[in-house]
Amino acid sequence: MSIIVAHGLTKRFGGLTAVDNLSFEIDEGEVFGLLGPNGAGKTTTIRLLACLLIPTKGEAEIFGYSIWRDQLRIREITGILTENPCLYERLTAYENMEFFAEAYNITDPRERSIRIRELLEFFGLWDRRHDKVGKFSKGMKQKLAIARALVHRPPILYLDEPTSDLDPESSKAIRDLIKKLSEREQCTILLSTHRLEDAEKLCNKVMIIKEGRRIALGSPSQLSMMVNEYNILEIRLRHPLNKVEDILGEINGVDRVEIGKTVIRVETKRDVEEVTPTIVRHIVEAGGEVLSVTPIRPSLEDAYLKLVKEDGDKA
Amino acid sequence: MEIRLEKAYLIFRKDWKEISRNWQVILPIIAVPLVLTIVLPVIMIYLPGAVYNQGVYTGDVTEFIKNIPSEVRSQISMMDSRQAMIYIVLTYLFAPFFLIIPLMASSVIASDSFAGEKERKTIEALLATPISDDELLLGKILVSFIPSMAVTILSFTVYTIVVDVLTYDIFYGKYILPNTTWLLLIFGAAPAVAFATIGLIVAISARVKGFREAQEISGVLIIPIVMLIAGQATGAFFLGINTLVAMIVILIILDIMIFYIGKMLFEREKILVRLD
Repeated sequence: MSIIVAHGLTKRFGGLTAVDNLSFEIDEGEVFGLLGPNGAGKTTTIRLLACLLIPTKGEAEIFGYSIWRDQLRIREITGILTENPCLYERLTAYENMEFFAEAYNITDPRERSIRIRELLEFFGLWDRRHDKVGKFSKGMKQKLAIARALVHRPPILYLDEPTSDLDPESSKAIRDLIKKLSEREQCTILLSTHRLEDAEKLCNKVMIIKEGRRIALGSPSQLSMMVNEYNILEIRLRHPLNKVEDILGEINGVDRVEIGKTVIRVETKRDVEEVTPTIVRHIVEAGGEVLSVTPIRPSLEDAYLKLVKEDGDKA
Repeated sequence: MEIRLEKAYLIFRKDWKEISRNWQVILPIIAVPLVLTIVLPVIMIYLPGAVYNQGVYTGDVTEFIKNIPSEVRSQISMMDSRQAMIYIVLTYLFAPFFLIIPLMASSVIASDSFAGEKERKTIEALLATPISDDELLLGKILVSFIPSMAVTILSFTVYTIVVDVLTYDIFYGKYILPNTTWLLLIFGAAPAVAFATIGLIVAISARVKGFREAQEISGVLIIPIVMLIAGQATGAFFLGINTLVAMIVILIILDIMIFYIGKMLFEREKILVRLD
């Protein structure tokens, strides 16, 4: 079931079109990635869906609520991690959480304190709850900002560049937490990122945008296949094998063969699991000793770069 | 939509917690009233006395008294020169200085609360909460207005006590403060000045990038107060009861106008877009 439906969403700032006629649907429980270079319109799209900006035209509905008419209601059911952590540095971690819990209508103090404790413990910040946020590292601030976004148990969570500006270790920690979160909190996540690793590891569906326009939409593997016609199989041999090109060329389903000294790359339009046993059998019968067979899946990075480049060429 | 007062109060509490931990804001709010309420009266009471005893200023005091409005002259007609000088300075010349307190306090707090929040990049998450524009605006006005007025009233109370205690013997057991002019000044003019300052900062908050810029712009409000001080000192202007009432009425009209302009300009989108 689609819980976010955007149709022809457009936002112009003077002469600049930041979001250009975007249409997409996000299903319940999905981790939906908005992938694009800096300035692609990712943050503006999130701000439109969070009712922080008013669209120039187009419509979006969140759980059936219109971003034109039901702004307060939409703010109540969404949590947002903004591009900056947006935390009050002179307040403690607990005070920050408490303020936002009350702002998001958690009026019962007991319920508030239970939820805050639960989240701060999950993010490993409970022991630092009385420390002012100004003393926190970037990674800790980012964790606290995500915890803050979740304080009112929103069914929808917007994460705007959650790992940008973080070192690789903190990025991984945040990525792992988001993965856990999507399962634990059972919320639908819209994640904007320019990091392919985030999109590939976290998202069920990815929309690539550039200059506010949609370039492609699909699961990471669908997007990869969109630009990579062939599946690739990499076979490592103990010793070089003579005439291997002729041997493999005869197999039905093998479209291309690249021969290295002891590494063979086979390209096929068929499913790799279907052709692998036949290929291995032919090599073994020809006297080859197979050390490993690895299917090389085309990466989202390849797809992204190709799609963005193709779009640039068209323009 | 109806304003939920508890949401405005939530903003008030959060902002006050932040402000009370910020010495950049607290220091001028404490320092200026301290100088005006304790340091200056002490100097004024003891300095003219010392000088008068040496017989230096007698002629100047008489000359000065000639220039002041007849309304004040009648109040000091039965006083000797020293009493007259102290009375004029402490109850007449000092009065407009007390408008600086609400102006300064509200300008510092409102700049930190509105523009400072933009500068520290905390405003986006706040704007994303289900708190309406009116509730947000009311909370921010309250946190600028209440402490400013608290400081003004506290300063006035301290000043009254200091002046009355120090001049008790000089005026033979008579208390010279508070009087109607001062009460009108503190409870009429001061809130109107504080409100005008906050209104101006609300109006410019969507257009400035930070605390300093907001403070610099709101600094223009000091000009009419300096003119008031200069007018009083030269005798060109007298802050009497009638003038004060007229001033309060004009300020209230201005307040309403500034506030509505500020409210019109207080748009989430504009505040946010100016951040980028």
